[in-house]
Amino acid sequence: MSFKQTLIKRQEFILVTVLLLIAAYMPLSNRFLDVVNPFHMSLFSINLIGQIICFAILAMALDFVWGFAGILSLGHGVFFGIGGYVMGFYLINASFAETKVLPDFMLYMGWKDFPLFFQIFKYLSVSIAMAVLLTFAIAGIFGFATFRSRINGVYFSIITQALTYALMLMLFINDLGLGGNNGMTGFRSLAGYKLADISTQIGLASVSCIVLAILYLLLRYIVKSSFGQAMIGVRDDEARLRFLGFRTDRIKLFAWCLSAAVAAIAGLLYVPQVGIINPNIVSPMLSVEIAVWVAIGGRGTLIGAIIGATLVNGLKFWLSAKAPSVWPFILAAVTLLITIGLSNGLWGGTLQLLSRSHARRGV
Amino acid sequence: MKRPTMLRVLAWLMGPLILFSIFCMSASAQSVSIEHRTVVLSGLCGDGATPGLVLTRLVTHALSNNEKEQVWVRRIITALKEGQLICNDSDQALINDGRSQLNAITLEAVLQKSSNPPYVPSMVIMRKVAITSAEVNLFSSDQSVRREAAEQIDKFYSLLDASVITQILKNEPDSEVRSMLTLALAKRGLKSSDKKDQLAAILAVSQSPSQASRTLLSNLLGDKNLTDPELKLASQTAIRHIDQWLLFANICSILFSGLSYASILLLTALGLSVIFGLMGVINLAHGEFITIGAYSTFIVEQLMKSYAPAYFDAYIFVAIPIAFCVCAIFGMVLEYCVIRFLYRRPLETLLATWAVSLAMIKSIQLLFGSQNVEFINPAFLNGGVQVFAGFVVTYNRVFAIILALLIFTATLLIIRHTRFGLLIRATTQLRDTARSLGVPAERIDRISFGLGAGLAGLAGVVLTQIASVNPSMGTSFVIDAFMVVVLGGAGSLIGTAVSSLALGEINQWIEPLYGSVTAKVAVLIIIVLIIQRRPQGLFTSKTRT
Repeated sequence: MSFKQTLIKRQEFILVTVLLLIAAYMPLSNRFLDVVNPFHMSLFSINLIGQIICFAILAMALDFVWGFAGILSLGHGVFFGIGGYVMGFYLINASFAETKVLPDFMLYMGWKDFPLFFQIFKYLSVSIAMAVLLTFAIAGIFGFATFRSRINGVYFSIITQALTYALMLMLFINDLGLGGNNGMTGFRSLAGYKLADISTQIGLASVSCIVLAILYLLLRYIVKSSFGQAMIGVRDDEARLRFLGFRTDRIKLFAWCLSAAVAAIAGLLYVPQVGIINPNIVSPMLSVEIAVWVAIGGRGTLIGAIIGATLVNGLKFWLSAKAPSVWPFILAAVTLLITIGLSNGLWGGTLQLLSRSHARRGV
Repeated sequence: MKRPTMLRVLAWLMGPLILFSIFCMSASAQSVSIEHRTVVLSGLCGDGATPGLVLTRLVTHALSNNEKEQVWVRRIITALKEGQLICNDSDQALINDGRSQLNAITLEAVLQKSSNPPYVPSMVIMRKVAITSAEVNLFSSDQSVRREAAEQIDKFYSLLDASVITQILKNEPDSEVRSMLTLALAKRGLKSSDKKDQLAAILAVSQSPSQASRTLLSNLLGDKNLTDPELKLASQTAIRHIDQWLLFANICSILFSGLSYASILLLTALGLSVIFGLMGVINLAHGEFITIGAYSTFIVEQLMKSYAPAYFDAYIFVAIPIAFCVCAIFGMVLEYCVIRFLYRRPLETLLATWAVSLAMIKSIQLLFGSQNVEFINPAFLNGGVQVFAGFVVTYNRVFAIILALLIFTATLLIIRHTRFGLLIRATTQLRDTARSLGVPAERIDRISFGLGAGLAGLAGVVLTQIASVNPSMGTSFVIDAFMVVVLGGAGSLIGTAVSSLALGEINQWIEPLYGSVTAKVAVLIIIVLIIQRRPQGLFTSKTRT
């Protein structure tokens, strides 16, 4: 078996291995390698990797519904945001338990003590469950209404974008009691670990890598299963599948809710690493960008989404510091080139190239 | 050559005659006015001076005379206010303007300067002077001066001269000033001890309904001294009457703001309706065409300011064709470079146009800076008019509504009744058939895309008068515009108009009660619910795809 064949056949194995290796390498290099050593990873870069991994989870969630069920959502920021806000609620609980000082926005609201609504999120496990449940509920209601009336294609995309916009405007209201335009910050500890500690941050990044690996395997399994085949059927010819007796709206609804939950998990992991949550996380801009990551990486591959998110965000962090005014133009140019010239994205194109050259040699 | 000679002779004869008669008339007018002025000012100086009467006479003089006399009255009052008035030893009034002393009647410099101290009015007279000055200012042709004067009169309502104000009310064109004066008169009437006066005042107040007049009446009702049942009943009826009017005015205001919001929605959605509705292309860069239209207007405005300041106010009309053309050209370039490769892949178009919009926003930021651009509105779009009490219509909104209607009609006519429109409809409905019948489909696509982009540019022109103009202004409109098209039904211009009217009105009815965000969310929910019943939108065009 040649190297190329191995790469194609063993994609998932390679990806999971790489992710686990990164997860293990980060704490080890930071702890045991000297600061001057080029293989030493600073806290900054580890934190960066952690954030990028969260975006990769988010992109993978979108690729699951877009690449396999043909539903382009421009509203995945909503679910990312729900996860992020729920984590924010939990973290605020935790820091209040420590300091007994109300956060600024609560003082602004004129609240004397910690409101009951926030106390639901006192325990981490409950918060995670709440985040997933809430996402399921919102995605479920929205998906039920839209899929049942057969809103699809670009109409669905536009409506999800409007949903994102509406939620962002709502979160910007200061009187809502969710932090308003400043959002929530001043987090101190997560499940007893101090967020300021280096070890906590490294742990979070490593956990993100492992979660990505697990979620990838899960989604990969679903895609390969008969349900995944039905999803692909919906994508390629929904009407035909419906005539064959499949309840396509239910297939889409399940895929949609699952994808939303994965996005929420990304949000849960993201917030403790950046240390702040504000309404910009649900801006329509970010939601379109997620789709752009997937398109650049290559949709319908899951790995492509991960690669796209990693590449774009890595470049973004690097270039935003070096040449902030150039970055949007580069992103725009790359997006244009890929959408026009390389509709399978980078990873899809690579796979195509590999299998073609392989087939040619076989002849 | 007889007649010309005759004419010349006539001219020679008549010319001096006319000149002479004009001279005589003006001289006699001059002497008459001097006499009047003397009468008016008598009693200002000397023993037993009656300055209060003089002030009353001054106003009456201004009321019954021409502009020239009004200027004179104003001069005297200014002199009184500023303490420039001096009475000389022979009881003549002089005005000391710093350099020289003038005769108060003729306003000519006097040779014998008086060294007497200036005339100091008492407190009572001072207040009377203030209201007299306001009353005289009501004759001004400047609307803002009159409004200020009316406010002043409202403040010192107890001192006003009822007959003068009633006289002025008859000729006052501005309804705001009218209602202020009526209110002031009524306040004075309510304080009167005569019941008949009070009743008349209550009636007068109810005739000019406003929040202020309502407070006035409810204060009267709450007054413990008010015991007369007839008065009570009258004021209760009046309050009910005012409430009805206020409600009506409120409804009209909301309807109007809904209409103006709808016109903005219609303007922004119209181009999208052509591009998305007819061609099926998701153009996320649509908002940036609006921005380009607005910035083209800005450039036109700047150029007109420096090169043709005389015609500055017309810049908005100059900008209309320019913005349309600029945006149409940009649109056609975009179609040629990007969109035409993606006609079969709508979701990719969405991403590609997003990238274009990102690049456009950043380019505009680099060129013009990211802060808001300041516009000087044309004079005829400033301000507004009070249709009736509590219902004010601003000119820029009316302008937007009219322009939206015009542009909509023009687009509708182009699509429905021209050959080009026929070709667009043919290409979008049955593309392959159209092509085999010889329709140049690619060119039609390009021109329709240019038309849509140009319409967005026109929206940008109008928005310069209403919204703030900055590089990211487009993004805030594009989502709403998409909603309008989705609700109206792709491909139906009538649907776009109806849905923008509906969304505009719904939005403005919810907004004052629950805030703008709730309004947006509610509109979104309404759209999703309507789409449940009509997945293709309100108005569906029968097409085969």
